[in-house]
Amino acid sequence: MRQDSYQVRQVSVRRRFQDDALSVLKSLLLVGITTIALLIAEQFFSLRHLILVYLVPVVIAATNLGMVPAVIAVIASGAATVFFFYPPIYSFLIEDPQHVVELLLFGFVAIVTGLLATNLKRQADLARRRETEVRELYTFSRRLLAAHTTSDIYTAIREHLASITGYRTILFEIVARGGGGVTLYTEGPVPEQVKRAAELLVEGHKGSGKGSVVEDGEGRVWLVRAIPGKGGDFGVLAIDLGLQAGKISDTIRKRIESVLADATATLERLDLAHALNDARVRSETEALRDALIGSVSHQLRTPLVSILGAATVISRAPGNSGDPRLASLVNILRNEVDRLNNDVQDLLDAALISSKGIRLECEWVEPSDIVNAAVDRRQRLLSGHHVLLDVSDELPLIYVDPILFEQALGQIVDNAAKYSHPGSAITIAARCDCDSIVLSIKDEGIGLVGEERTRLWERFFRGGRHASNVSGSGLGLWIAKAFVTANGGEIEALSEGADCGTLVSIRLQAKEPATRDLAVVDDG
Amino acid sequence: MGSATILVIDDELHIRQFLRAAFEFEGFTVQEACDAEEGIRSATLKPPDLIILDLGLPDRDGSSIITRLRSWSNTPIIVLTVRSSEREKVRLLELGADDYVVKPFGIGELIARAHATLRPRLATTPANDHVVRVGPLEINLATRSGTIDGERLVLGPKEYLVLEILAQHAGKVVTRQQIMKQVWGGPHLDDTHYLRIIVRKLRKKIEVDPTRPRILLTELGIGYRLVR
Repeated sequence: MRQDSYQVRQVSVRRRFQDDALSVLKSLLLVGITTIALLIAEQFFSLRHLILVYLVPVVIAATNLGMVPAVIAVIASGAATVFFFYPPIYSFLIEDPQHVVELLLFGFVAIVTGLLATNLKRQADLARRRETEVRELYTFSRRLLAAHTTSDIYTAIREHLASITGYRTILFEIVARGGGGVTLYTEGPVPEQVKRAAELLVEGHKGSGKGSVVEDGEGRVWLVRAIPGKGGDFGVLAIDLGLQAGKISDTIRKRIESVLADATATLERLDLAHALNDARVRSETEALRDALIGSVSHQLRTPLVSILGAATVISRAPGNSGDPRLASLVNILRNEVDRLNNDVQDLLDAALISSKGIRLECEWVEPSDIVNAAVDRRQRLLSGHHVLLDVSDELPLIYVDPILFEQALGQIVDNAAKYSHPGSAITIAARCDCDSIVLSIKDEGIGLVGEERTRLWERFFRGGRHASNVSGSGLGLWIAKAFVTANGGEIEALSEGADCGTLVSIRLQAKEPATRDLAVVDDG
Repeated sequence: MGSATILVIDDELHIRQFLRAAFEFEGFTVQEACDAEEGIRSATLKPPDLIILDLGLPDRDGSSIITRLRSWSNTPIIVLTVRSSEREKVRLLELGADDYVVKPFGIGELIARAHATLRPRLATTPANDHVVRVGPLEINLATRSGTIDGERLVLGPKEYLVLEILAQHAGKVVTRQQIMKQVWGGPHLDDTHYLRIIVRKLRKKIEVDPTRPRILLTELGIGYRLVR
């Protein structure tokens, strides 16, 4: 071991020396180039105080190579000036005392400038590194906040640690086992040796944060280390240091340790235990909510199925089937069942939006399909109106959740039908506008006045003018807006005033499907 | 066809009652089952011509019943489902359900679906059994070509394939994935915009107004249906 680290030190000293020598050579090269340039320039015109030109290689060396090469560049520059330019030329003697002053002044200015440049460079580097770190930390904390399950959190931590250490990592979740023990859990394959080391670490010293180094069967070296949290260790991290000849160098290990110390301090501050608990509660609440929504929708809808089913059977029964009075009664029933069914759907959608549980299942959709579905589903409601469709057949496909988007459009169409006179026109258009696709629904109804314009999209808001004679829950437009926004769109309503009709526009950014292998479709 | 037997598997007594009445008026024989176990037993003992299956049975979820029935039987299955579960519908169709009806429904809709499902898969003419007729469309499986209202259609190979798949299931819904799998195969299953583009081209050739299709309909979030 001792011999090992001695060798490691030997190697690193030699490498460092090589690096330094290279930097010095580079700075000498810079001075050389400057000298040649000056010699050429002197053929054409005479230069006074040409020594100042040597500030250029000095500053370059200071910013890029470090202070030592910069000082060497200063000395070399002075020497080159004396040798090539100060009379007597091609000797290190100086005749003119003025030149001595100039040389001393140059030395002073060059060293100060070099120092400033090096400092500036170091600070810029530091700032850039800090910025990256802060950005990474910010992304990381956002992921933590959004995490729905504990495994989301562990994945976020693992990826964060991997990005700051720059190595592949495995993070073991410590799961309490019945009977006081713990088991380690992680996704994906883990080398046996690494797993055993992690288990030893957890059983050996809890909360110590100590680590060990193991080698797996394939010669890869792993650093295994506990990650402490507020209430004891919350995980064990294994870092894959790759194929290392012999033991890992102290420097690498120290660097990783210091990075990890920073990271674990951050993790502690972020109060992971709390986040983990939150995630668990959240996923349980979500399951409960899903169950509740499912059962409510079942309970409310089942009677509707029997009512509508039985009524339509009666109207078709032999002896009844030709009777127009029965048909019209069934029609009433049908409309009312539809309305109730839509109200149940609105309640479910509202519950979904309030709990921020909108899950999008986006796909490429033909805009006309959405318009047609929204209109067809409301055929009976729209039967008293002239519905005009104006959809171009050359619109780009849109990338949305088709069901939610159709529901949003449907709500607007519902509203247009409800708040306009039978026999009036409702125009639904889809067109391209620059790089967006705009769906618009125009009615000739009661329009918008006063606070209706601004409060239109609020939950439970109903305009005072017609609330008493038009049924509604005040949820429709709020749902429409939520669904459109969730799909990345914008929605707005315009009206010239009372009884002037309303124009609602839904605007979506046009996107292009990935065109890879488009030849697959281009066959006719 | 009038004497076909229909098995209704539903845990709601009222729904079973009106379904029985409706199908008996239509001349069908109706068997009832109130849960999955009874349904599967009934389907084994006296195989029906059509099964109507309500999802959300107390003893078993819909997909496992379909899987079990499909392991030995080809009897068509129509699923009764609710509106907000498109993903579930797609899954059931892929497991082997033939069609679905969204609750609440008018009985006319369900009876129409039942008739479409009970009809033989291909409506071929007796003289040449490689020609499929669907409404104004005629598709020749031998020459891989088609006509609409007697006029020849110029179809690209992919367009023809999509049309053929839909025609073979005329009147019934075919999921996007089913079409994608047959036309493009595995690696492109998620690239549904390929299918959208082909359908757009097809509609331009067979529909009077391609933006308001009457023959090749979209079932939003699920797939397509060729009207019979």
